[in-house]
Amino acid sequence: MEGVKFDGAAERLVMKTQCPFCSVQCKMQVIEERPKNGPPSYTVVPTPNVASEGRLCVKGINAYQHALMGDRMLYPMKKLDGQLVRITWSEAYAWMAERFGKLQQCYGMDSIGVYGGGSLTNETAYLLGKMARLSLGTKYIDYNGRFCMSAAASAGNKAFGIDRGLTNPLSDIQLAKCIILAGTNIAECQPTLMPYFLRAKENGAMIIVIDPRETATAELADIHLKVKPGMDASLVNGLLKIVLEEGHTDMRFLKERTRGFEEVRAHVEPMSLLEIAEITGVEEAEIRRAAIAFGRADTGMVFTARGVEQHSDGYMSVRNYINLLLVTGKIGREGCGYGAVTGQANGQGGREHGQKADQLPGYRMIDNEEHRAYIADVWGVDPEQLPGKGVSAYEMMEKIHEQEIRALFLMGSNPIVSNPNANFVQEGLEKLDFLVVCDMYISETARMADLLLPVSSYIENEGTLTNLEGRVLLREGNRPLPGEVKHDWKILCELSAALGKAEQFPFQSAEGIFEELRIASKSGIADYYGITYDRLRREEGVYWPCPSIDEPGSVRLFEERFAHPDGRAELAAVANHFPKEQPDEQYPLYLTTGRVLSHYLSGVQTRRSPALAARNIESFVELHPRTAMKYGIKEGVLVQLETRRGQVVVRSRFSYAIRLDTLFMPMHWGDLQSVNKLTHQALDPTCRMPAFKVCAVRIVPLSHKTYSRISRGCP
Amino acid sequence: MKQENALGKAQSGYNSCRSGSKAAGTARMERGRQVYTVSRDGGMAMDRRLKLVVVGNGMAGVRCVEEILKLAPYLYDITIIGKEPHPNYNRIMLSKVLQGDTSIADITINSLRWYEEQGITLYIDETVERIETSRAVVQTNKGRSIPYDRLIIATGSNPFMLPLPGADKAGVTAFRSIEDCERMMESAKHNKRAVVIGGGLLGLEAARGLLNLGMEVKVVHIYNYLMERQLDLTASEMLRKELESQGMQFIMGKQTERILGRKRVEGVQFSDGTRLTADLVVFAVGIRPNVKLAADSGIEVNRGIVVNDRMETSAPRVYAVGECAEHRGMVYGLAAPLYEQGKVLAKVLCDVETEGYGGSTLYSQLKVSGVDVFSVGEIMESDSAETIKMYNGLARTYLKIIIRNERIAGAVMFGDISDSSKLLHAIKQGAGLSVLDDIGRQSGESVEVSKGERYKAVMMMAEKEIVCSCNGVSKGVIVQAICDKKLGGVDEVQACTRASSSCGGCKPLVQTILDYVLESGGAVELKKESLCGCTTLSHEELREAMQGIDADGLINDDVMKEQLGWLNKDGCEVCEAALKFYTALWRGKHELIEEQFQLTVHTRHPIRNSIQMGKHLEKALSGLVFPAELSLGVAAGLFYSAGMLTKDVSLIGTPSGWELYAGGSDGGFGQLGLMQVRQAQLICTEEDDAAALELALALLLSYRSDADYGETVAEWLERVGTIALRERIFTLDNRERLLSALNASLLSQAGVRQYPLFPEEVTL
Repeated sequence: MEGVKFDGAAERLVMKTQCPFCSVQCKMQVIEERPKNGPPSYTVVPTPNVASEGRLCVKGINAYQHALMGDRMLYPMKKLDGQLVRITWSEAYAWMAERFGKLQQCYGMDSIGVYGGGSLTNETAYLLGKMARLSLGTKYIDYNGRFCMSAAASAGNKAFGIDRGLTNPLSDIQLAKCIILAGTNIAECQPTLMPYFLRAKENGAMIIVIDPRETATAELADIHLKVKPGMDASLVNGLLKIVLEEGHTDMRFLKERTRGFEEVRAHVEPMSLLEIAEITGVEEAEIRRAAIAFGRADTGMVFTARGVEQHSDGYMSVRNYINLLLVTGKIGREGCGYGAVTGQANGQGGREHGQKADQLPGYRMIDNEEHRAYIADVWGVDPEQLPGKGVSAYEMMEKIHEQEIRALFLMGSNPIVSNPNANFVQEGLEKLDFLVVCDMYISETARMADLLLPVSSYIENEGTLTNLEGRVLLREGNRPLPGEVKHDWKILCELSAALGKAEQFPFQSAEGIFEELRIASKSGIADYYGITYDRLRREEGVYWPCPSIDEPGSVRLFEERFAHPDGRAELAAVANHFPKEQPDEQYPLYLTTGRVLSHYLSGVQTRRSPALAARNIESFVELHPRTAMKYGIKEGVLVQLETRRGQVVVRSRFSYAIRLDTLFMPMHWGDLQSVNKLTHQALDPTCRMPAFKVCAVRIVPLSHKTYSRISRGCP
Repeated sequence: MKQENALGKAQSGYNSCRSGSKAAGTARMERGRQVYTVSRDGGMAMDRRLKLVVVGNGMAGVRCVEEILKLAPYLYDITIIGKEPHPNYNRIMLSKVLQGDTSIADITINSLRWYEEQGITLYIDETVERIETSRAVVQTNKGRSIPYDRLIIATGSNPFMLPLPGADKAGVTAFRSIEDCERMMESAKHNKRAVVIGGGLLGLEAARGLLNLGMEVKVVHIYNYLMERQLDLTASEMLRKELESQGMQFIMGKQTERILGRKRVEGVQFSDGTRLTADLVVFAVGIRPNVKLAADSGIEVNRGIVVNDRMETSAPRVYAVGECAEHRGMVYGLAAPLYEQGKVLAKVLCDVETEGYGGSTLYSQLKVSGVDVFSVGEIMESDSAETIKMYNGLARTYLKIIIRNERIAGAVMFGDISDSSKLLHAIKQGAGLSVLDDIGRQSGESVEVSKGERYKAVMMMAEKEIVCSCNGVSKGVIVQAICDKKLGGVDEVQACTRASSSCGGCKPLVQTILDYVLESGGAVELKKESLCGCTTLSHEELREAMQGIDADGLINDDVMKEQLGWLNKDGCEVCEAALKFYTALWRGKHELIEEQFQLTVHTRHPIRNSIQMGKHLEKALSGLVFPAELSLGVAAGLFYSAGMLTKDVSLIGTPSGWELYAGGSDGGFGQLGLMQVRQAQLICTEEDDAAALELALALLLSYRSDADYGETVAEWLERVGTIALRERIFTLDNRERLLSALNASLLSQAGVRQYPLFPEEVTL
């Protein structure tokens, strides 16, 4: 029942749930006690589970705060003359149906865009795609996960024939004798996974970290390659060259299970290590050390994350890391495999069930005749009714700017803060005729909305999520809904009903949606057919693909064959590649972005959590003291960063652990501290991933003139 | 990998360990001191308790029994048979007994009463002569026949007595048992000259002991330098010099050929013909695992009794542990590996899942009369490895590290072994060179100083400082837990406080804190300071008491003091003022108090409207009492904010919003005297004007009701901690409650938002 309040009596509610933040999805219990007189108190108890083994990090421990103690929206609101006015749900649906209808009449079906998120449950992601294509009939749908996993996903698909974040179970990590952590700051982004790597170290593993910064993860490293931002692909070419030279190739594996090695060999052999050292900023001896360590080890794994992937050559960089694994035969057995460390809670599931521009449920492709026919059949429509391929998230923003998309339905994302080239994105959104935002809070993007719809939080919203291992988990949500908040999937059903599609959206529960999802994903690459809520409750999660109820799910992939029709993995020669925007006289430094331990994504949730916000109250720019001296920057003062696209004002922080030519800013703040006002919108041609991680920047002390320009409302 | 089924682990362990015909699919259940078998259909059958017999009453065997008792106290009926006529004692401490540092009584680990209390049947001064594995029975030399369900052979080692002519004379002894020790101590009373044959660990300890007993001691060693198995030439020579300076004499490179004398020993003769006179000869040339019993009983022996990773011998249900056991070709003579073995064996015998024993890293640590020596792993230099050496002739310290394939392969340390545990850990981990950054500082530093530096850092840490950022655990919490719960290890700290349970990065620091607390005997109890001499109450207790007093109307101070149990009814300057304040704060009624704050407003180079903000602040705070006089400031912009950062609380307009600062001080004259100038800390930045005002007010109100009378904002902030304070005022509930103390209409005039921000409504 919606809108139930606790009555005056002392009450105790035990909520079994899992963390809403990163992709490890640590399980926990949140116990809420409401004494008769006094504020409620909360206890968080970690629950044993396979992924995090009963650990929680500081974000998980405090995750309940934003959901239960924050300034959540409790009823729908509409913007009237610049003010937010409360309306009823029926008014909201009626208005949406009317506006969408009118706009589509004038400008065509594709004038409505839909934008989802990687934290949405599988059920909601599935329904979002269905709603976009069926109820709205638009081809324009994509989601913020484009900025998360698209590079690794494309690479996995092309190299292996399948994209599942981790190809091995987490328990394999301690069996790896050499582990490469490239562009992944696990210590701050997935802290509860660190003990796996510590265990590996205790077993004698050698850890190689590749990162321009000395992150907390790099402290674990035996070898730290401090690569120039954007130069991973070239660095790996160097590693490959040495591996080949030193004879650490697994020729039998290459011959029996892969194709494309000859091109790679022909490509790297003539390369000059000296040149690679120069362009990557890593010394020859270090490259050699790392390559030999990895080549020589009996078992080894490679993990990549956004540091490698968020580049205009992100896809190819990941392919080169996969090349390294294939060349040394380090995949498809114990202690050997690849891990794309998914960032978001449901980054894996969210990229499989149709909220992507080119995708249909079960990791099917929207431009594939057979796939269209199958899904159309499941949905009870003609295949011709299904729209074609849309465009990626940032490209949608371009379409909005061009006013080809005139209305946007946004659920579970904060694009003004998370898109690159944020000023441009903001301009575009301002041009929209109609912006609907479904969120828990009035985020930076929600501020601009015409219609605000309040959604339930993770602790109220039951559904399934697929964690970074590819394990589908059931997240229970038994807290009563506050105010007039609705579940996100419910909103999609009711909206579709208002648009005349009630029959295809009859769902009364998340489990009901999942039952249809099972069928829709059946025999697809991401096959969930063998998974039921019952199984999930009993077995604490099931690995996909899982074609049938009796099968246990595939724990380790590629033990016998890869997922291409010929069963082989594919290697690809990767060219040395430079970032699209390089430092020059005007903008002499590299800017790279990343995260801090106590915040998550664009900070909408974590900035509203007192414990987490207290640990990091503001953004900052990290720079080397010598660089600071060169540009006249003092420590702990507000400074200005400028790129060709925008400027921000943040506080300076010195660090000896960062490259002299690089600045670092975290991404969790908006407005004037939003790093994406600076970042470059260059897209990877294959996967459309923006080059968040590198652009050219300059830093200046905050000047009189500048802040006068941006001062506000003074007498 | 073990298969899990519906019954879980019980299944696999069960079947492998049970004798007799128990059906598959049953589980064991303990109730009281009986053991039952529970079958799948729920039927129960009572077993008798299983019989566990342990041959040997030494350290390894008894330690294993202790572990079993921890895991499953009611599982076994235990019998221990020991050759020596003593209860279990610490053999390693015999050197100390000999050296006069401790008595025999003190080295007993488990007294006879312990065996009684644990229900263990103990036969001492009795030897097991035969094991009949087919009948599962042991036979002792006293004619006893003891049946067993499980048997542990823990017969230890025998000292190797060189088979020299004359070795059977009186006055020739080994140095292994309490008897040997007593013999040597007795001999020292009447005799002068002792010769110790064997310049290894044991021989040097014996020599030191005999020196202490007043004998003239010569150590004979067959090699040219001492402790050749653990030390390299340099460390060995340093050791010899040190021991010589203590009075020991050394005869190196000599092989003993015969013991001289008639019935009693009179001397020794070497293979080169030379001789030494001696009244006492101690053999310390090594130990041999005691495998006779096992060999005679048909159990596979090599150098020791051969065991697998589960400590199982070749005979069913017979196990071996300790110095008599050989595991993967290794026989161990140090305590740590033996205890590890005992732990594994205990798990095996109690059906607890274990990965088995995988061998131990060998290391030795020797402390001989003030000399510290440590050695682990590979110690010899070679062409295929790299070496790091640090030698300090003045301080007499030496450190050598062998590096092979970028990993630490071994180390030798003399004089300063403070980094030994770190190196040992590094070798066990197979760690690389990065650990060396911390090791081998000035090797001239003595052990005390280097430890002191680490402890100093811990001492200087504030109680609130976060040690584990993943789990938000502060130093204070860790110290409290260690003291309250008497924690002994990092894993206990982890289990208690969650510190270092996520990413593990703070483990070294947690270890140092633990070491520090244990060594300094626990944290200094923070005595709650009372207000003044007139009362035993502290500020906090007084505040609480005030809030609890149940009376309306104006209560004068005298009545108040009466009710609170004031010792000195007249009071004094300090408590008079404090009482006045607390009364005003909690009882709401007070005489008019002058303006308790000074507000400075700057307006130049504005980014925000400081005049308006200042006005709102002033209005909201007027009429309120504060624990101390406040200096407040509001600056419209960054570029003329002089003096803002030394105010108690200030707001500065910046491009991203209002920056809220707290805890500054301009060095005026405070309650306790002249104060230091100090810069305020940034609490937060807030974009919205109304919210910024709320935060500032919430901070001030929190200070008002929480601080001690006379405490400045800076002092209070340091006590509470910046992060904790932020959490307080960021929490909307708290903010609402704090602000409710203020005039509601005033607040809404100031544009302060109404809480809750989105009012709920019940829908039916």
